[in-house]
Amino acid sequence: MNAVPRRIQRVLAGISLPVYLLLYAPLSVIAIFSFAPSLGHPGPNVAAYGMLLNDPEVLAALRRSLTLAIGSAVLGTMLGTLMGFGLSRFRPAKGGGFWVGTLPSLIIYLPIIMPSLVFGISELIFFNFVHEYTGLLSAGLLTMGIAHVTFQAPYVALVVYARLAGLDPNLFEASQDLYANAVKSFVFLTIPVVRPALIGGFLLAITLSIDDFTISFFTAGPGSVTLPIYIYSAIARKGSSPEINALGSLMIATVIGVALLYYFVTRHRERSNRIPAVA
Amino acid sequence: MGTAAQGEARSRAWRLWITSGPGLFWIVLFLLIPSGVMLGIAFFTNSDFGSPVLPLSLDSFSQVAGYGILGWSGANFTVLLRSLLQAGVATSVTILLAYPLVFFIVTRPANMRPVLLLFAIVPSWTNQVVRTYAWMELLNPFAPVSHVAQVLGIIPPHLGLMPGDFAVLVGLSYNYLPYMVVPLYAAAEKLDWTLVEAGRDLYASGAKLFFNTVFPQTLPGLLSGIILVGIPAFGDYVVPQLLGGDKAMMLGSLIADQFTFSPDWPYGAALTLIMLAFTCIGLIVFRRLTQRLGGGEGAML
Repeated sequence: MNAVPRRIQRVLAGISLPVYLLLYAPLSVIAIFSFAPSLGHPGPNVAAYGMLLNDPEVLAALRRSLTLAIGSAVLGTMLGTLMGFGLSRFRPAKGGGFWVGTLPSLIIYLPIIMPSLVFGISELIFFNFVHEYTGLLSAGLLTMGIAHVTFQAPYVALVVYARLAGLDPNLFEASQDLYANAVKSFVFLTIPVVRPALIGGFLLAITLSIDDFTISFFTAGPGSVTLPIYIYSAIARKGSSPEINALGSLMIATVIGVALLYYFVTRHRERSNRIPAVA
Repeated sequence: MGTAAQGEARSRAWRLWITSGPGLFWIVLFLLIPSGVMLGIAFFTNSDFGSPVLPLSLDSFSQVAGYGILGWSGANFTVLLRSLLQAGVATSVTILLAYPLVFFIVTRPANMRPVLLLFAIVPSWTNQVVRTYAWMELLNPFAPVSHVAQVLGIIPPHLGLMPGDFAVLVGLSYNYLPYMVVPLYAAAEKLDWTLVEAGRDLYASGAKLFFNTVFPQTLPGLLSGIILVGIPAFGDYVVPQLLGGDKAMMLGSLIADQFTFSPDWPYGAALTLIMLAFTCIGLIVFRRLTQRLGGGEGAML
Protein backbone atom coordinates (compact mmCIF):
# COMPACT_ATOMS: atom_id res chain seq x y z
CA MET A 1 0.00 0.00 0.00
CA ASN A 2 1.87 3.07 -1.19
CA ALA A 3 -0.45 5.44 0.70
CA VAL A 4 1.51 4.70 3.85
CA PRO A 5 5.04 6.10 3.85
CA ARG A 6 7.90 3.72 4.53
CA ARG A 7 8.78 5.44 7.80
CA ILE A 8 5.31 4.86 9.23
CA GLN A 9 5.27 1.29 7.94
CA ARG A 10 8.45 0.70 9.90
CA VAL A 11 6.86 2.15 13.04
CA LEU A 12 3.79 -0.08 12.55
CA ALA A 13 5.98 -3.14 12.19
CA GLY A 14 8.02 -2.06 15.20
CA ILE A 15 4.90 -2.04 17.36
CA SER A 16 3.18 -5.06 15.81
CA LEU A 17 5.98 -7.59 16.07
CA PRO A 18 6.24 -7.19 19.87
CA VAL A 19 2.44 -7.49 20.04
CA TYR A 20 2.63 -10.81 18.20
CA LEU A 21 5.37 -11.91 20.60
CA LEU A 22 3.20 -10.87 23.52
CA LEU A 23 0.28 -12.88 22.12
CA TYR A 24 2.33 -16.07 22.06
CA ALA A 25 4.68 -15.53 25.02
CA PRO A 26 2.32 -16.84 27.73
CA LEU A 27 1.34 -19.83 25.61
CA SER A 28 5.00 -20.68 24.99
CA VAL A 29 5.76 -20.36 28.68
CA ILE A 30 3.21 -23.08 29.43
CA ALA A 31 4.74 -25.31 26.78
CA ILE A 32 8.27 -24.78 28.14
CA PHE A 33 7.22 -25.35 31.75
CA SER A 34 5.50 -28.60 30.79
CA PHE A 35 8.97 -30.10 30.26
CA ALA A 36 10.31 -28.71 33.54
CA PRO A 37 12.17 -30.95 35.98
CA SER A 38 10.02 -32.30 38.78
CA LEU A 39 10.40 -34.59 41.78
CA GLY A 40 12.19 -37.74 40.60
CA HIS A 41 12.63 -36.37 37.09
CA PRO A 42 15.71 -34.14 36.91
CA GLY A 43 16.38 -32.23 33.71
CA PRO A 44 13.93 -31.51 30.91
CA ASN A 45 11.55 -34.44 30.52
CA VAL A 46 8.19 -35.56 29.25
CA ALA A 47 7.10 -37.27 32.47
CA ALA A 48 4.15 -34.87 32.87
CA TYR A 49 2.71 -36.00 29.55
CA GLY A 50 3.02 -39.64 30.58
CA MET A 51 1.24 -38.96 33.85
CA LEU A 52 -1.48 -37.11 31.98
CA LEU A 53 -2.19 -39.88 29.52
CA ASN A 54 -2.46 -42.40 32.36
CA ASP A 55 -4.72 -40.25 34.51
CA PRO A 56 -8.26 -41.69 34.28
CA GLU A 57 -9.71 -38.41 35.60
CA VAL A 58 -8.17 -36.42 32.76
CA LEU A 59 -9.24 -38.93 30.13
CA ALA A 60 -12.80 -38.93 31.48
CA ALA A 61 -12.83 -35.11 31.42
CA LEU A 62 -11.59 -35.16 27.82
CA ARG A 63 -14.31 -37.63 26.83
CA ARG A 64 -16.95 -35.43 28.49
CA SER A 65 -15.65 -32.28 26.80
CA LEU A 66 -15.83 -33.92 23.37
CA THR A 67 -19.28 -35.42 23.99
CA LEU A 68 -20.54 -32.05 25.15
CA ALA A 69 -18.98 -30.12 22.26
CA ILE A 70 -20.16 -32.43 19.48
CA GLY A 71 -23.59 -33.16 20.94
CA SER A 72 -24.45 -29.53 21.60
CA ALA A 73 -22.97 -28.41 18.26
CA VAL A 74 -25.22 -30.81 16.32
CA LEU A 75 -28.39 -29.49 17.93
CA GLY A 76 -27.14 -25.89 18.03
CA THR A 77 -26.33 -25.99 14.30
CA MET A 78 -29.76 -27.43 13.47
CA LEU A 79 -31.68 -24.83 15.47
CA GLY A 80 -29.37 -22.02 14.36
CA THR A 81 -29.55 -22.89 10.67
CA LEU A 82 -33.34 -23.02 10.73
CA MET A 83 -33.45 -19.66 12.52
CA GLY A 84 -31.03 -17.97 10.11
CA PHE A 85 -32.85 -19.44 7.12
CA GLY A 86 -36.35 -18.56 8.35
CA LEU A 87 -35.46 -15.00 9.30
CA SER A 88 -33.72 -14.25 6.03
CA ARG A 89 -36.42 -15.82 3.82
CA PHE A 90 -39.80 -15.39 5.50
CA ARG A 91 -39.53 -12.15 7.38
CA PRO A 92 -41.22 -9.23 5.59
CA ALA A 93 -38.56 -7.10 3.90
CA LYS A 94 -39.69 -3.88 5.54
CA GLY A 95 -40.24 -3.77 9.27
CA GLY A 96 -42.84 -6.39 10.05
CA GLY A 97 -43.76 -4.65 13.29
CA PHE A 98 -42.46 -5.48 16.72
CA TRP A 99 -43.52 -9.14 16.93
CA VAL A 100 -42.11 -10.30 13.62
CA GLY A 101 -39.53 -7.61 12.88
CA THR A 102 -37.82 -6.66 16.13
CA LEU A 103 -38.52 -9.36 18.70
CA PRO A 104 -36.78 -12.29 16.93
CA SER A 105 -33.60 -10.22 16.52
CA LEU A 106 -33.70 -9.20 20.17
CA ILE A 107 -34.07 -12.83 21.24
CA ILE A 108 -31.20 -13.96 19.01
CA TYR A 109 -28.85 -11.25 20.26
CA LEU A 110 -29.69 -11.90 23.91
CA PRO A 111 -27.29 -14.86 24.43
CA ILE A 112 -24.54 -13.05 22.50
CA ILE A 113 -24.80 -9.81 24.45
CA MET A 114 -25.46 -11.18 27.93
CA PRO A 115 -22.32 -11.38 30.10
CA SER A 116 -21.53 -15.09 30.46
CA LEU A 117 -21.56 -14.87 34.24
CA VAL A 118 -25.17 -13.62 34.23
CA PHE A 119 -25.98 -16.29 31.64
CA GLY A 120 -24.46 -19.07 33.73
CA ILE A 121 -26.00 -18.03 37.03
CA SER A 122 -29.47 -17.60 35.48
CA GLU A 123 -29.24 -21.16 34.18
CA LEU A 124 -27.97 -22.40 37.56
CA ILE A 125 -31.00 -20.95 39.33
CA PHE A 126 -33.43 -22.11 36.64
CA PHE A 127 -32.19 -25.72 36.55
CA ASN A 128 -32.15 -25.72 40.33
CA PHE A 129 -35.84 -24.74 40.48
CA VAL A 130 -36.83 -27.15 37.70
CA HIS A 131 -35.06 -29.98 39.49
CA GLU A 132 -36.59 -29.06 42.83
CA TYR A 133 -40.16 -29.07 41.51
CA THR A 134 -40.10 -31.76 38.81
CA GLY A 135 -37.06 -33.92 39.61
CA LEU A 136 -35.89 -33.47 36.00
CA LEU A 137 -32.67 -31.89 34.75
CA SER A 138 -30.28 -32.49 37.61
CA ALA A 139 -27.04 -30.59 37.02
CA GLY A 140 -24.74 -32.51 34.70
CA LEU A 141 -23.73 -32.89 31.07
CA LEU A 142 -27.38 -32.50 29.98
CA THR A 143 -27.86 -29.10 31.63
CA MET A 144 -24.45 -28.01 30.32
CA GLY A 145 -25.50 -29.12 26.85
CA ILE A 146 -28.76 -27.17 27.03
CA ALA A 147 -26.82 -24.04 28.02
CA HIS A 148 -24.25 -24.57 25.24
CA VAL A 149 -26.96 -24.96 22.58
CA THR A 150 -28.43 -21.68 23.83
CA PHE A 151 -25.27 -19.74 23.00
CA GLN A 152 -24.30 -21.74 19.89
CA ALA A 153 -27.60 -21.44 17.99
CA PRO A 154 -27.52 -17.60 17.69
CA TYR A 155 -23.96 -17.59 16.33
CA VAL A 156 -24.83 -20.27 13.77
CA ALA A 157 -27.97 -18.29 12.85
CA LEU A 158 -25.85 -15.17 12.21
CA VAL A 159 -23.39 -17.09 10.02
CA VAL A 160 -26.18 -18.69 7.96
CA TYR A 161 -28.10 -15.40 7.77
CA ALA A 162 -25.03 -13.55 6.50
CA ARG A 163 -24.56 -16.19 3.80
CA LEU A 164 -28.19 -16.07 2.64
CA ALA A 165 -28.34 -12.25 2.80
CA GLY A 166 -25.77 -12.04 0.02
CA LEU A 167 -27.88 -14.27 -2.23
CA ASP A 168 -30.14 -13.39 -5.15
CA PRO A 169 -33.78 -13.81 -3.98
CA ASN A 170 -34.68 -14.67 -7.59
CA LEU A 171 -33.08 -18.08 -7.04
CA PHE A 172 -35.90 -19.02 -4.71
CA GLU A 173 -38.52 -17.61 -7.08
CA ALA A 174 -36.99 -19.70 -9.85
CA SER A 175 -37.20 -22.87 -7.80
CA GLN A 176 -40.86 -22.12 -7.14
CA ASP A 177 -41.48 -21.55 -10.85
CA LEU A 178 -40.03 -25.00 -11.43
CA TYR A 179 -42.69 -26.43 -9.11
CA ALA A 180 -40.39 -27.24 -6.21
CA ASN A 181 -42.36 -27.28 -2.98
CA ALA A 182 -41.03 -25.77 0.23
CA VAL A 183 -39.33 -28.95 1.44
CA LYS A 184 -37.79 -29.77 -1.95
CA SER A 185 -36.52 -26.23 -2.36
CA PHE A 186 -34.99 -26.38 1.13
CA VAL A 187 -33.24 -29.71 0.47
CA PHE A 188 -32.03 -29.09 -3.09
CA LEU A 189 -31.44 -25.35 -3.08
CA THR A 190 -31.01 -23.96 0.40
CA ILE A 191 -28.89 -26.72 1.90
CA PRO A 192 -26.30 -26.77 -0.93
CA VAL A 193 -26.16 -22.98 -0.93
CA VAL A 194 -25.63 -22.65 2.81
CA ARG A 195 -23.34 -25.69 3.08
CA PRO A 196 -20.16 -23.61 3.65
CA ALA A 197 -22.01 -21.60 6.29
CA LEU A 198 -23.36 -24.83 7.76
CA ILE A 199 -19.89 -26.36 8.10
CA GLY A 200 -18.45 -23.06 9.32
CA GLY A 201 -21.29 -22.71 11.82
CA PHE A 202 -20.82 -26.25 13.11
CA LEU A 203 -17.07 -25.72 13.61
CA LEU A 204 -17.77 -22.38 15.28
CA ALA A 205 -20.28 -24.09 17.60
CA ILE A 206 -17.67 -26.70 18.60
CA THR A 207 -15.07 -23.99 19.20
CA LEU A 208 -17.52 -21.97 21.31
CA SER A 209 -18.33 -25.04 23.40
CA ILE A 210 -14.69 -25.97 24.02
CA ASP A 211 -13.70 -22.37 24.70
CA ASP A 212 -16.41 -21.75 27.28
CA PHE A 213 -15.65 -21.98 30.95
CA THR A 214 -17.95 -19.63 32.89
CA ILE A 215 -21.29 -20.96 31.65
CA SER A 216 -20.13 -24.58 31.94
CA PHE A 217 -18.86 -23.98 35.46
CA PHE A 218 -22.24 -22.82 36.74
CA THR A 219 -24.31 -25.46 34.95
CA ALA A 220 -22.03 -28.43 35.74
CA GLY A 221 -22.78 -31.06 38.34
CA PRO A 222 -20.40 -33.12 40.46
CA GLY A 223 -20.20 -35.85 37.82
CA SER A 224 -19.67 -33.66 34.78
CA VAL A 225 -16.16 -32.26 35.15
CA THR A 226 -14.94 -31.25 31.69
CA LEU A 227 -11.37 -30.30 30.79
CA PRO A 228 -11.62 -26.54 31.51
CA ILE A 229 -13.34 -27.23 34.83
CA TYR A 230 -10.73 -29.86 35.68
CA ILE A 231 -7.93 -27.38 34.99
CA TYR A 232 -9.64 -24.60 36.92
CA SER A 233 -10.18 -26.68 40.04
CA ALA A 234 -6.66 -28.11 39.82
CA ILE A 235 -5.24 -24.56 39.77
CA ALA A 236 -7.51 -23.53 42.64
CA ARG A 237 -6.45 -26.58 44.67
CA LYS A 238 -2.70 -26.78 44.19
CA GLY A 239 -1.60 -23.96 41.91
CA SER A 240 0.55 -24.78 38.91
CA SER A 241 1.98 -28.19 38.20
CA PRO A 242 3.85 -29.76 35.26
CA GLU A 243 0.80 -31.90 34.60
CA ILE A 244 -1.50 -28.89 34.18
CA ASN A 245 1.13 -27.26 31.98
CA ALA A 246 1.24 -30.41 29.84
CA LEU A 247 -2.55 -30.47 29.55
CA GLY A 248 -2.64 -26.77 28.66
CA SER A 249 0.10 -27.28 26.05
CA LEU A 250 -1.83 -30.11 24.41
CA MET A 251 -4.96 -27.96 24.26
CA ILE A 252 -3.02 -25.04 22.77
CA ALA A 253 -1.30 -27.32 20.24
CA THR A 254 -4.68 -28.74 19.17
CA VAL A 255 -6.10 -25.27 18.60
CA ILE A 256 -3.08 -24.10 16.61
CA GLY A 257 -3.17 -27.33 14.59
CA VAL A 258 -6.85 -26.85 13.79
CA ALA A 259 -6.24 -23.19 12.90
CA LEU A 260 -3.47 -24.12 10.44
CA LEU A 261 -5.66 -26.85 8.95
CA TYR A 262 -8.51 -24.36 8.59
CA TYR A 263 -6.16 -21.92 6.89
CA PHE A 264 -4.79 -24.41 4.38
CA VAL A 265 -8.23 -25.84 3.59
CA THR A 266 -9.92 -22.48 3.03
CA ARG A 267 -6.92 -21.01 1.19
CA HIS A 268 -7.40 -23.45 -1.65
CA ARG A 269 -11.15 -23.21 -1.68
CA GLU A 270 -11.65 -19.46 -1.78
CA ARG A 271 -9.21 -16.71 -2.49
CA SER A 272 -11.17 -13.92 -0.88
CA ASN A 273 -9.88 -12.47 2.37
CA ARG A 274 -12.23 -14.03 4.81
CA ILE A 275 -12.20 -12.75 8.32
CA PRO A 276 -12.07 -15.62 10.79
CA ALA A 277 -14.38 -15.39 13.76
CA VAL A 278 -13.21 -14.66 17.26
CA ALA A 279 -14.37 -17.17 19.79
CA MET B 1 -56.96 -9.69 -4.33
CA GLY B 2 -56.93 -8.62 -0.71
CA THR B 3 -57.56 -12.14 0.54
CA ALA B 4 -54.90 -13.59 -1.71
CA ALA B 5 -52.33 -11.14 -0.38
CA GLN B 6 -53.48 -11.86 3.14
CA GLY B 7 -53.19 -15.59 2.54
CA GLU B 8 -49.71 -15.09 1.16
CA ALA B 9 -48.70 -13.05 4.21
CA ARG B 10 -50.22 -15.65 6.53
CA SER B 11 -48.37 -18.51 4.89
CA ARG B 12 -45.13 -16.53 5.12
CA ALA B 13 -45.71 -15.89 8.81
CA TRP B 14 -46.49 -19.55 9.34
CA ARG B 15 -43.26 -20.61 7.59
CA LEU B 16 -41.33 -18.08 9.64
CA TRP B 17 -42.52 -19.65 12.89
CA ILE B 18 -42.02 -23.22 11.65
CA THR B 19 -38.36 -22.52 10.84
CA SER B 20 -37.30 -19.92 13.40
CA GLY B 21 -39.77 -20.93 16.09
CA PRO B 22 -37.90 -23.85 17.65
CA GLY B 23 -34.65 -21.91 18.06
CA LEU B 24 -36.37 -18.79 19.37
CA PHE B 25 -38.46 -20.90 21.75
CA TRP B 26 -35.30 -22.60 23.02
CA ILE B 27 -33.65 -19.26 23.81
CA VAL B 28 -36.79 -17.92 25.48
CA LEU B 29 -37.23 -21.06 27.59
CA PHE B 30 -33.61 -21.57 28.55
CA LEU B 31 -32.33 -18.01 28.80
CA LEU B 32 -35.01 -15.30 28.75
CA ILE B 33 -37.21 -16.98 31.37
CA PRO B 34 -34.26 -18.01 33.59
CA SER B 35 -32.85 -14.48 33.58
CA GLY B 36 -36.33 -13.17 34.40
CA VAL B 37 -36.53 -15.59 37.32
CA MET B 38 -33.09 -14.49 38.45
CA LEU B 39 -34.04 -10.81 38.41
CA GLY B 40 -37.28 -11.58 40.24
CA ILE B 41 -35.30 -13.23 43.02
CA ALA B 42 -33.71 -9.87 43.79
CA PHE B 43 -37.03 -8.79 45.33
CA PHE B 44 -37.31 -11.73 47.73
CA THR B 45 -35.95 -12.12 51.24
CA ASN B 46 -32.88 -14.19 51.99
CA SER B 47 -33.40 -17.37 54.04
CA ASP B 48 -30.83 -18.94 56.35
CA PHE B 49 -29.75 -21.25 53.55
CA GLY B 50 -29.28 -18.50 51.00
CA SER B 51 -32.36 -19.37 48.97
CA PRO B 52 -35.08 -16.78 48.34
CA VAL B 53 -38.24 -16.79 50.48
CA LEU B 54 -41.25 -14.50 50.91
CA PRO B 55 -42.01 -11.77 51.88
CA LEU B 56 -41.01 -9.49 49.02
CA SER B 57 -38.56 -6.83 50.08
CA LEU B 58 -35.95 -4.39 48.86
CA ASP B 59 -33.40 -5.50 51.48
CA SER B 60 -31.11 -6.92 48.83
CA PHE B 61 -30.85 -3.50 47.19
CA SER B 62 -29.90 -1.76 50.40
CA GLN B 63 -27.28 -4.49 50.79
CA VAL B 64 -26.01 -3.60 47.30
CA ALA B 65 -25.86 0.06 48.33
CA GLY B 66 -23.62 -0.98 51.20
CA TYR B 67 -25.96 -1.15 54.22
CA GLY B 68 -25.43 -4.22 56.38
CA ILE B 69 -25.70 -5.29 60.02
CA LEU B 70 -22.46 -3.46 60.69
CA GLY B 71 -23.68 -0.18 59.18
CA TRP B 72 -22.67 1.36 55.86
CA SER B 73 -19.61 0.29 53.91
CA GLY B 74 -18.31 1.56 50.61
CA ALA B 75 -16.86 -1.80 49.58
CA ASN B 76 -19.47 -2.47 46.90
CA PHE B 77 -18.97 0.94 45.32
CA THR B 78 -15.25 0.28 45.24
CA VAL B 79 -15.84 -3.04 43.49
CA LEU B 80 -18.20 -1.47 40.94
CA LEU B 81 -15.84 1.43 40.31
CA ARG B 82 -12.89 -0.93 39.93
CA SER B 83 -14.83 -3.05 37.41
CA LEU B 84 -15.73 -0.01 35.34
CA LEU B 85 -12.18 1.31 35.52
CA GLN B 86 -10.56 -2.03 34.64
CA ALA B 87 -12.93 -2.49 31.69
CA GLY B 88 -12.26 1.06 30.50
CA VAL B 89 -8.48 0.84 30.79
CA ALA B 90 -8.37 -2.65 29.25
CA THR B 91 -10.46 -1.39 26.32
CA SER B 92 -8.06 1.55 25.83
CA VAL B 93 -5.07 -0.78 25.90
CA THR B 94 -6.63 -3.00 23.23
CA ILE B 95 -7.34 0.08 21.08
CA LEU B 96 -3.75 1.30 21.39
CA LEU B 97 -2.38 -2.13 20.45
CA ALA B 98 -4.99 -2.99 17.80
CA TYR B 99 -4.59 0.15 15.62
CA PRO B 100 -0.90 -0.37 14.78
CA LEU B 101 -1.42 -4.12 14.46
CA VAL B 102 -4.37 -3.77 12.08
CA PHE B 103 -2.65 -1.16 9.92
CA PHE B 104 0.50 -3.26 9.88
CA ILE B 105 -1.61 -6.14 8.50
CA VAL B 106 -3.52 -4.11 5.88
CA THR B 107 -0.31 -2.60 4.53
CA ARG B 108 1.16 -6.06 3.84
CA PRO B 109 0.72 -7.75 0.44
CA ALA B 110 -2.82 -9.13 0.00
CA ASN B 111 -1.78 -12.80 0.16
CA MET B 112 -0.08 -12.36 3.54
CA ARG B 113 -2.96 -10.59 5.26
CA PRO B 114 -5.22 -13.56 6.08
CA VAL B 115 -2.44 -15.50 7.76
CA LEU B 116 -1.23 -12.47 9.73
CA LEU B 117 -4.79 -11.86 10.91
CA LEU B 118 -5.20 -15.53 11.77
CA PHE B 119 -2.06 -15.45 13.92
CA ALA B 120 -3.47 -12.49 15.84
CA ILE B 121 -6.70 -14.40 16.53
CA VAL B 122 -5.57 -17.96 17.18
CA PRO B 123 -4.67 -17.38 20.86
CA SER B 124 -8.30 -16.41 21.48
CA TRP B 125 -9.38 -19.86 20.33
CA THR B 126 -7.73 -21.53 23.31
CA ASN B 127 -9.80 -21.90 26.44
CA GLN B 128 -9.99 -18.79 28.61
CA VAL B 129 -8.85 -20.71 31.67
CA VAL B 130 -5.70 -21.90 29.89
CA ARG B 131 -4.98 -18.40 28.58
CA THR B 132 -5.37 -16.87 32.02
CA TYR B 133 -3.42 -19.64 33.68
CA ALA B 134 -0.56 -18.85 31.28
CA TRP B 135 -0.36 -15.34 32.74
CA MET B 136 -0.33 -16.79 36.25
CA GLU B 137 2.79 -18.72 35.25
CA LEU B 138 4.31 -15.59 33.74
CA LEU B 139 3.55 -13.09 36.51
CA ASN B 140 3.79 -15.13 39.71
CA PRO B 141 6.35 -14.08 42.35
CA PHE B 142 8.83 -16.77 41.31
CA ALA B 143 8.71 -16.05 37.58
CA PRO B 144 11.59 -14.20 35.89
CA VAL B 145 9.31 -11.28 34.94
CA SER B 146 8.49 -10.60 38.58
CA HIS B 147 12.17 -10.95 39.42
CA VAL B 148 13.09 -8.26 36.90
CA ALA B 149 10.37 -6.00 38.31
CA GLN B 150 11.74 -6.57 41.83
CA VAL B 151 15.28 -5.71 40.77
CA LEU B 152 14.08 -2.58 38.99
CA GLY B 153 12.21 -1.58 42.13
CA ILE B 154 8.80 -1.52 40.46
CA ILE B 155 7.43 -3.90 43.07
CA PRO B 156 8.69 -4.68 46.59
CA PRO B 157 10.93 -7.75 46.93
CA HIS B 158 9.22 -11.13 47.50
CA LEU B 159 6.02 -9.90 45.87
CA GLY B 160 4.92 -10.91 42.40
CA LEU B 161 3.14 -8.97 39.69
CA MET B 162 0.15 -11.09 40.62
CA PRO B 163 -2.30 -11.27 42.27
CA GLY B 164 -3.48 -7.70 41.89
CA ASP B 165 -5.03 -5.02 39.71
CA PHE B 166 -2.09 -4.95 37.30
CA ALA B 167 -2.33 -8.68 36.59
CA VAL B 168 -6.09 -8.38 36.03
CA LEU B 169 -5.55 -5.52 33.57
CA VAL B 170 -2.95 -7.54 31.68
CA GLY B 171 -5.20 -10.60 31.64
CA LEU B 172 -8.26 -8.69 30.41
CA SER B 173 -6.32 -6.86 27.68
CA TYR B 174 -4.73 -10.11 26.50
CA ASN B 175 -8.04 -11.97 26.51
CA TYR B 176 -10.00 -9.41 24.55
CA LEU B 177 -7.40 -7.94 22.16
CA PRO B 178 -8.62 -10.10 19.23
CA TYR B 179 -12.17 -8.82 19.78
CA MET B 180 -10.84 -5.33 18.98
CA VAL B 181 -8.62 -6.48 16.12
CA VAL B 182 -11.36 -8.20 14.10
CA PRO B 183 -13.89 -5.33 13.74
CA LEU B 184 -11.09 -2.78 13.27
CA TYR B 185 -9.57 -4.95 10.56
CA ALA B 186 -12.93 -5.24 8.82
CA ALA B 187 -13.14 -1.43 8.75
CA ALA B 188 -9.49 -0.85 7.83
CA GLU B 189 -9.58 -3.32 4.97
CA LYS B 190 -12.34 -1.35 3.23
CA LEU B 191 -10.55 1.95 3.84
CA ASP B 192 -10.74 4.43 0.96
CA TRP B 193 -7.07 5.41 0.61
CA THR B 194 -7.81 8.06 -2.01
CA LEU B 195 -9.14 10.20 0.87
CA VAL B 196 -5.79 9.87 2.60
CA GLU B 197 -3.97 10.93 -0.55
CA ALA B 198 -6.37 13.84 -1.01
CA GLY B 199 -5.55 14.89 2.55
CA ARG B 200 -1.87 14.67 1.80
CA ASP B 201 -2.32 16.76 -1.34
CA LEU B 202 -3.82 19.39 0.93
CA TYR B 203 -0.59 19.28 2.98
CA ALA B 204 -2.09 17.56 6.00
CA SER B 205 0.29 15.21 7.75
CA GLY B 206 0.90 13.18 10.87
CA ALA B 207 -1.82 13.14 13.49
CA LYS B 208 -3.95 15.63 11.56
CA LEU B 209 -3.97 13.42 8.48
CA PHE B 210 -4.80 10.37 10.57
CA PHE B 211 -7.64 11.93 12.52
CA ASN B 212 -9.21 13.59 9.47
CA THR B 213 -8.95 10.79 6.92
CA VAL B 214 -8.25 7.38 8.50
CA PHE B 215 -9.90 7.63 11.88
CA PRO B 216 -13.44 8.57 10.75
CA GLN B 217 -13.48 5.62 8.35
CA THR B 218 -12.49 3.15 11.07
CA LEU B 219 -14.88 4.63 13.64
CA PRO B 220 -17.72 2.09 13.08
CA GLY B 221 -15.23 -0.76 13.57
CA LEU B 222 -13.79 0.94 16.63
CA LEU B 223 -17.25 1.32 18.19
CA SER B 224 -18.08 -2.37 17.59
CA GLY B 225 -14.71 -3.23 19.11
CA ILE B 226 -15.38 -1.14 22.21
CA ILE B 227 -18.68 -3.02 22.73
CA LEU B 228 -17.08 -6.41 22.11
CA VAL B 229 -14.23 -5.71 24.55
CA GLY B 230 -15.77 -3.42 27.14
CA ILE B 231 -18.88 -5.43 27.98
CA PRO B 232 -17.31 -8.85 28.52
CA ALA B 233 -14.31 -7.29 30.28
CA PHE B 234 -16.64 -5.50 32.70
CA GLY B 235 -18.47 -8.74 33.52
CA ASP B 236 -15.49 -11.08 33.39
CA TYR B 237 -15.21 -13.79 35.99
CA VAL B 238 -12.21 -15.99 35.18
CA VAL B 239 -9.53 -13.30 34.93
CA PRO B 240 -10.18 -11.44 38.22
CA GLN B 241 -10.76 -14.76 39.94
CA LEU B 242 -7.40 -16.25 38.91
CA LEU B 243 -5.22 -13.13 38.64
CA GLY B 244 -6.91 -10.71 41.01
CA GLY B 245 -7.04 -12.00 44.54
CA ASP B 246 -9.11 -10.40 47.28
CA LYS B 247 -7.79 -6.86 46.87
CA ALA B 248 -8.59 -6.68 43.16
CA MET B 249 -12.11 -8.08 43.32
CA MET B 250 -14.43 -7.25 40.44
CA LEU B 251 -18.20 -7.34 40.18
CA GLY B 252 -18.22 -10.81 38.59
CA SER B 253 -16.49 -12.47 41.54
CA LEU B 254 -18.69 -10.60 44.02
CA ILE B 255 -21.80 -11.91 42.23
CA ALA B 256 -20.50 -15.46 41.92
CA ASP B 257 -19.67 -15.56 45.64
CA GLN B 258 -23.35 -15.01 46.47
CA PHE B 259 -24.24 -18.19 44.61
CA THR B 260 -21.34 -20.41 45.70
CA PHE B 261 -19.32 -19.82 48.88
CA SER B 262 -21.72 -17.77 51.00
CA PRO B 263 -25.12 -18.22 49.38
CA ASP B 264 -27.37 -15.18 49.40
CA TRP B 265 -29.38 -15.40 46.20
CA PRO B 266 -31.47 -12.21 46.52
CA TYR B 267 -28.32 -10.12 47.13
CA GLY B 268 -26.54 -11.84 44.24
CA ALA B 269 -29.52 -11.26 41.96
CA ALA B 270 -29.63 -7.57 42.91
CA LEU B 271 -25.93 -7.26 42.09
CA THR B 272 -26.59 -8.96 38.76
CA LEU B 273 -29.28 -6.38 38.06
CA ILE B 274 -26.63 -3.68 38.53
CA MET B 275 -24.30 -5.48 36.12
CA LEU B 276 -27.05 -5.80 33.51
CA ALA B 277 -28.04 -2.16 33.94
CA PHE B 278 -24.49 -0.98 33.17
CA THR B 279 -24.27 -3.42 30.25
CA CYS B 280 -27.51 -2.05 28.77
CA ILE B 281 -26.46 1.58 29.24
CA GLY B 282 -23.19 0.84 27.45
CA LEU B 283 -24.97 -0.92 24.59
CA ILE B 284 -27.56 1.80 24.11
CA VAL B 285 -25.03 4.63 24.17
CA PHE B 286 -22.80 2.97 21.60
CA ARG B 287 -25.73 1.92 19.42
CA ARG B 288 -26.92 5.53 19.32
CA LEU B 289 -23.41 6.68 18.42
CA THR B 290 -23.15 4.10 15.65
CA GLN B 291 -26.54 5.09 14.24
CA ARG B 292 -25.66 8.78 14.33
CA LEU B 293 -22.45 8.05 12.44
CA GLY B 294 -24.45 6.04 9.91
CA GLY B 295 -22.23 3.01 10.33
CA GLY B 296 -23.92 0.08 8.58
CA GLU B 297 -22.87 -3.30 9.95
CA GLY B 298 -23.45 -5.30 6.77
CA ALA B 299 -25.58 -8.38 7.13
CA MET B 300 -27.03 -7.77 10.55
CA LEU B 301 -30.28 -9.42 11.53
